[in-house]
Amino acid sequence: MVLTLNHFLALAAVVFVTGMAGFVVRRNAIVMLMCIELMLSAVNIVFAAFARHHGDAGGHVFVLMNFAVAAAEAAIGLAILVEIYRRRRTVDVDELKSLME
Amino acid sequence: MNGFLVPAIGDQLDVLLPYLVVAGGGLLVMLVDAFVRTMRKDHLSLLTLAVLLLAALSQLVRGGGGGEREILSGMMAVGDYARFFNYLFIGCGVLTTVFATSTFDRDEHYRPEFYPLLLFSILGMMVLAAASDLLTVFLGIETMSLAVYVLVGGVRGDTRSSEAGFKYLLLGGFASAFLLMGMALLYGFAGGTAFSDISRALAQNSGDMSLALLGGGLVLVGFGFKVALVPFHMWTPDVYDGAPAYVTGFMATAVKAAGFAILLRFAWLMQPQLAFAWYPVLTVLAVLTMSVGNLVALAQSSLKRLLAWSSIAHAGYLMLGVVTLISPGTGGSAQMVLGREVGESAGSALLFYLLAYSLMNLAAFGVIGAVGSKGREADDIERYAGLSRRRPVAAAVLAIAMLSLAGIPPMVGFMSKFYLFSAVVRAGLVPLAVIGVINSLVSVYYYLRVIVVMYMKQPEADSYEGGEPVAIGAAALLAALVLLLGVMPDSLHRAALIIFRQITF
Repeated sequence: MVLTLNHFLALAAVVFVTGMAGFVVRRNAIVMLMCIELMLSAVNIVFAAFARHHGDAGGHVFVLMNFAVAAAEAAIGLAILVEIYRRRRTVDVDELKSLME
Repeated sequence: MNGFLVPAIGDQLDVLLPYLVVAGGGLLVMLVDAFVRTMRKDHLSLLTLAVLLLAALSQLVRGGGGGEREILSGMMAVGDYARFFNYLFIGCGVLTTVFATSTFDRDEHYRPEFYPLLLFSILGMMVLAAASDLLTVFLGIETMSLAVYVLVGGVRGDTRSSEAGFKYLLLGGFASAFLLMGMALLYGFAGGTAFSDISRALAQNSGDMSLALLGGGLVLVGFGFKVALVPFHMWTPDVYDGAPAYVTGFMATAVKAAGFAILLRFAWLMQPQLAFAWYPVLTVLAVLTMSVGNLVALAQSSLKRLLAWSSIAHAGYLMLGVVTLISPGTGGSAQMVLGREVGESAGSALLFYLLAYSLMNLAAFGVIGAVGSKGREADDIERYAGLSRRRPVAAAVLAIAMLSLAGIPPMVGFMSKFYLFSAVVRAGLVPLAVIGVINSLVSVYYYLRVIVVMYMKQPEADSYEGGEPVAIGAAALLAALVLLLGVMPDSLHRAALIIFRQITF
């Protein structure tokens, strides 16, 4: 079987939707952060696939930048989450209610 | 080989200077805080102000003409459009520094990390306003957002702040994923990440149009989140409420302006071919955003929440401008000359509106920050009772800001709405203008309620009475500008028109 562009796009779509569904369904903050990472991985697949398809290096550069930014975002998210966990002893987003009116 | 590794930026240094100053200044402030022990904490604010001032001055250094100039191999296009927004971001940064420092002084609780983060987020915004490549859009928006996440959530020991920061980060990351997926699809459509590639592919009608449509839509979701359009606004009230007042003021002005800076450029880029698909969607979003924002604001008892919903409503008015800009009547080949003129009047009205909105909103948040007391923010509207007697200047400034937000002459808020709605009418979208005016009328009720409480009610034991002289002085300066520009808006409006004409692809 020959792998074409569409195979990669289909894979990316599956990964992206999995991440999206996980983000919406799960209430554990760490799992939700992981779901965002999953969605970003799907984006990377699309960029890499199109870069190969167009024979253009710009997509690969984008993937590398994406790694760096995703890592920074995860670091900040976990840092704030540690602060919350110290006070509330929970990472369940439904328990984070001090802002509700 | 060397030329490949180090692109020739020698002749671009004059244009790059403001960016280098802010980036270097941010690092400098961070290092000074970490290593210079003899430095008092509040000296960091002076250093930050000096960096911002230097960045503003370095914008005056420039070679060549007034048009947009591509730098860094087409990654950024710096012209008067970017410079206009840079001045706006730097101005917001200066005032936020002043407000934040006065709050720190009162609470005797310093956040040294605040200053470098503020500079980095401003750097992200500046890159965003000048972006002419999807990669710079992404890096700008993330540099800005990552810094703002920490600004919101970084108040040690304040659960509300941490929760607001985390909520913003989770939903912001979710929206970023959509933005990125949109960019990936646009890249697949155009075969390159530069705006010029996209505009060329759109013009030649090459590539798969469905990719462009889907990609553009997903990018729109990402931007819609950043500027808080309904239905991507759910985070706004909680985050605006949980963040300290000085950060909220920064988010409502600079972050929103940055979002619109790129949304405007992006809409103008995608307009020629995609107007037919985007126009109805954006119209619905604009009307929804205005109406939901204003209706929910009516029921708020917390001033910060009220201003959060009001900022959503104002995003709706601004979207009216974007809708006018891309409406099929403008820019199309049929009435090219007339259409382009209408588009430009909408674009310049948007620039004017963003500046006016930043002035009045910063004044309001400045007062909110100033009248609270140690560890207690002035949030409850009822407890503003009698502020006019205890703190007459603060009350007057807040009243001017509220009247301006409501769009009552002679404040600048009236002129900005006037320019915006007249552009909408000139494009032939009279129903939209009518909806906008009705929404403004509704909004008068909740803005006036704040003034009534301040001026008509007797002060009680637990009413707010804090008065930070520096913060109130800065807010009074803003209020004076609101009045001045409201009386004499013409030269600024004309400048906005010239600035907008220079956007090219």
